[in-house]
Amino acid sequence: MALIDTRREYDHLFGIYVPIAIGVFALILVVMLAAVVIFRRRPAERAARWSEHNALEGSYAALLACVAAFLLYLTFTAEHRVDTVANRQRAAVVVNVIASKWEWTFTYPAYGFSVRSGTVGRQPLVVPAGEAVRFNLTSVDVIHAFWIPALRYKHDAIPGSTQVITLSFTKGVFAGQCAEFCGLRHPDMVFTAHAVSPASFGAWARSRGRGPTP
Amino acid sequence: MRGGAIPILAWGTILLVLAIGNWVWNDKTADGAAASAAVVIIYGFGVALWLARREAIRRGPPPPRTDAEAVPQASVSAMLIGLSVGCALFGLAWAKFLLYFGIAVFVLSVGRLIIELRAERSTRKHVVSEEEHR
Amino acid sequence: MGAQPGEGADPVSVATAPPARISRMTGWLGTLTSTDHKRMGLTLGGLSLLYFLLGGLFALLMRTQLAQSNMHFVSDNSYNELFTMHGSTMIYLFVTPMAIALAVYLVPLQIGATGISAPRLALAGLWTWICGGLIMQQGWFASGGAGRAGWSSYAPLSNGTNTPGVGQDLWVIGVILAAAGMAAMAGCVVATIARRRAPGMALLRMPVFTWTALVTVLMVVASFPILVLVMVLLYIDRHGGHIFTGFTGAIDYQDLFWFFGHPVVYVMFFPYLGAAAEAIAVCSHKRWFGYIAFVASMMAFAAMSTAVWSHHMYTTGGVTNQYFAFTSTLLLVPAGVEYFDAIGTLIGGALVLRTSMLFALTFFLQFLVGGLSGVFVASPVLDYQVYGTYMIVAHFHYTLFAGSIFGFFAGVYHWFPKFTGALLRERLGKLQLVLMVIGTNLTFFPMFFLGNDGMPRRVSRYPTHPGWGTLNELETIGAGIIALGVLVFLVNVWTSLRRRVPAGDDPWLGHTLEWATSSPPPPLNFDRPLPPISSYSPLLDLRHEEMDRGGEPAEVSAAR
Repeated sequence: MALIDTRREYDHLFGIYVPIAIGVFALILVVMLAAVVIFRRRPAERAARWSEHNALEGSYAALLACVAAFLLYLTFTAEHRVDTVANRQRAAVVVNVIASKWEWTFTYPAYGFSVRSGTVGRQPLVVPAGEAVRFNLTSVDVIHAFWIPALRYKHDAIPGSTQVITLSFTKGVFAGQCAEFCGLRHPDMVFTAHAVSPASFGAWARSRGRGPTP
Repeated sequence: MRGGAIPILAWGTILLVLAIGNWVWNDKTADGAAASAAVVIIYGFGVALWLARREAIRRGPPPPRTDAEAVPQASVSAMLIGLSVGCALFGLAWAKFLLYFGIAVFVLSVGRLIIELRAERSTRKHVVSEEEHR
Repeated sequence: MGAQPGEGADPVSVATAPPARISRMTGWLGTLTSTDHKRMGLTLGGLSLLYFLLGGLFALLMRTQLAQSNMHFVSDNSYNELFTMHGSTMIYLFVTPMAIALAVYLVPLQIGATGISAPRLALAGLWTWICGGLIMQQGWFASGGAGRAGWSSYAPLSNGTNTPGVGQDLWVIGVILAAAGMAAMAGCVVATIARRRAPGMALLRMPVFTWTALVTVLMVVASFPILVLVMVLLYIDRHGGHIFTGFTGAIDYQDLFWFFGHPVVYVMFFPYLGAAAEAIAVCSHKRWFGYIAFVASMMAFAAMSTAVWSHHMYTTGGVTNQYFAFTSTLLLVPAGVEYFDAIGTLIGGALVLRTSMLFALTFFLQFLVGGLSGVFVASPVLDYQVYGTYMIVAHFHYTLFAGSIFGFFAGVYHWFPKFTGALLRERLGKLQLVLMVIGTNLTFFPMFFLGNDGMPRRVSRYPTHPGWGTLNELETIGAGIIALGVLVFLVNVWTSLRRRVPAGDDPWLGHTLEWATSSPPPPLNFDRPLPPISSYSPLLDLRHEEMDRGGEPAEVSAAR
């Protein structure tokens, strides 16, 4: 089974929603401007007296409902993949993410060590690229949100709960940050994610901790 | 007055349907409480209107009025009620004496409001009887 | 009975009781205690407008801080106060109360009533709201500063541990009072529509604005009590109550808050939609198109507002995302009907491009950007990326500022002659429009790119990504241009009131009853018998009859 890629799901939907939106905007803009140009400055008594056409309006509403159904179908399919199927994937590595004012703690339970990002994110989150990575999100104080903009995905870290999300990375360095206002130094609650090859990830993790438990 | 409760009850019914939909899909206490409160408030409003005048749920345009209508021009008590509530709650955050002062003014203004309302009612009766006399 | 409904003659016998000893107040006390709905509407609207200027000032300070990535114009703490108070001032003290002010002033006139129902309750509500606004702003003088947990003040961030201090308490109390006051006034408007329509004014003959006002006040009555309750609970929580604790507490707060918070979004939209609709219909010399469909879609639209709120919570993992995606996306149907009706009104009309008309047209076009981006964020997968970013800021400013505020100005240019008896200057109005269109799009359009690119909202500093600096500078310049536009508006009001051009009773050939009385209307609203009411535009009917009888065609006297 192919990895669920949040970026691809987002881009796919974006590529359908945004052109439709632009098309609708252009259509209404043109119709309104045309109406204004054609019907301006006529004498008042020439204004038409009709004021409804319920059959036309009803068909139009039905057409809109079809558009809504189409968009919902796309959204539901993508949402199912991102939220449900992703969490069913076998994860190569599990990271417990603890958000606190105003830093991130990434614990690798399989390797028995933690990394604290520190405020302004000096220490990176390291993950293997090309594999499913499971994050267990929680918070110790207020609501934060774990967000990596390049992956097109965020999820809240809420005190009193552990929420499970599964992401996959391509190789590279990604900026991450808190996306839910969390108080004084919210802008500084950032981190960096390094996605490296599984081999280098293993080497890095073993050098930091006691090695993977069988 | 005629038909006045119809849109309110109709809207309350749409709310009720949506609240049921929400309950079926989500079943959360806070949601359910908020949605039912909204339905109860709107239905309550509509039913109160209906109880006041039965024609509130009858269709059609309102007929010409025959009774006198009282239109007050000013009300010191109403202003004081608003101010005293504000004063009392401000007292919660700032100084306790304002809380007690606010409550006292509130009670006095409600008293004055009752006087105003009674005076208004007697004037309306007076006008109505004068008209009938004519 | 017996008489034809809507037949001329004195609509009601009126007792202007109670006796002089109690009721007759003169001078400033008379103004402050007046239970005349027009007086109350003007007071509420006037004060709201002052809060608009104050909230705008906060926005300018924020935009100055954000002009470059790492400015030190204000401190982090001040920035948090500024964005909290900007949102709170605009929402609780300007756009919402202004919507109610329009309803309080105009609804009794449009339905041919002598006043508002339960005027004392409305007056008490007005003063409660006034207290609420003043108390909220008192926070600026508190140690630790004003409210600084966002206009939505999510628990547990807003609790006593995470946001200590009197400023946040004052914010909570201010919101309680403002919401309770507005709920009281809204209740009076509901009762007015239910009880005091003039003879002949059947429900389906009520003007378009009155319908938008009716669904608005219904939403207020249904949802504002929940806000009051949430804020009372938050106050108790802040003082050792432990109410919104743990995961359930956090989610419950958001559920309850947004149960108010989404209806209020439409409260801040519908009356301005109604204002724009009236302006378009009158300036087209044509009845508003598709009345029945419009009324039905309004009712459905407003009711749906109580079924979509959790689309603000897709990323919490505590709500059924698909259900709320379903209801939220479905909103495009009633919204589309409005656009259909607006275009249907224009087609076949005789359009006069007055300032009010131009503002109404830009209202529809600019709101469309907000509406279409609303369909976008209604999709959970798309929202996962853009929630909490500048994309959301762009979306709701396109609905609230580029939409509602433009609708508000359409209403102001349309009804100012009725409110004051004087005309506003058209040339200044058009200058204002041009400045505001440029400023608005310059400020808010770049935000779509920034948000999609990863700039979170509610930050006083941001990383120096390529392009971000330029976009933010453009936004700051745009904010300045908007401010200039608002300044032109103030100058326009000032000159128009100082050197008055008398408006007459009906400068635009209006369609609805408020134009069938003097400007401003006398204390009991109508100084002459009401015309017969057989549709939602009775004055247009009269003109049509006159034309059919071969009378003089109505002059487009005020077409300038």
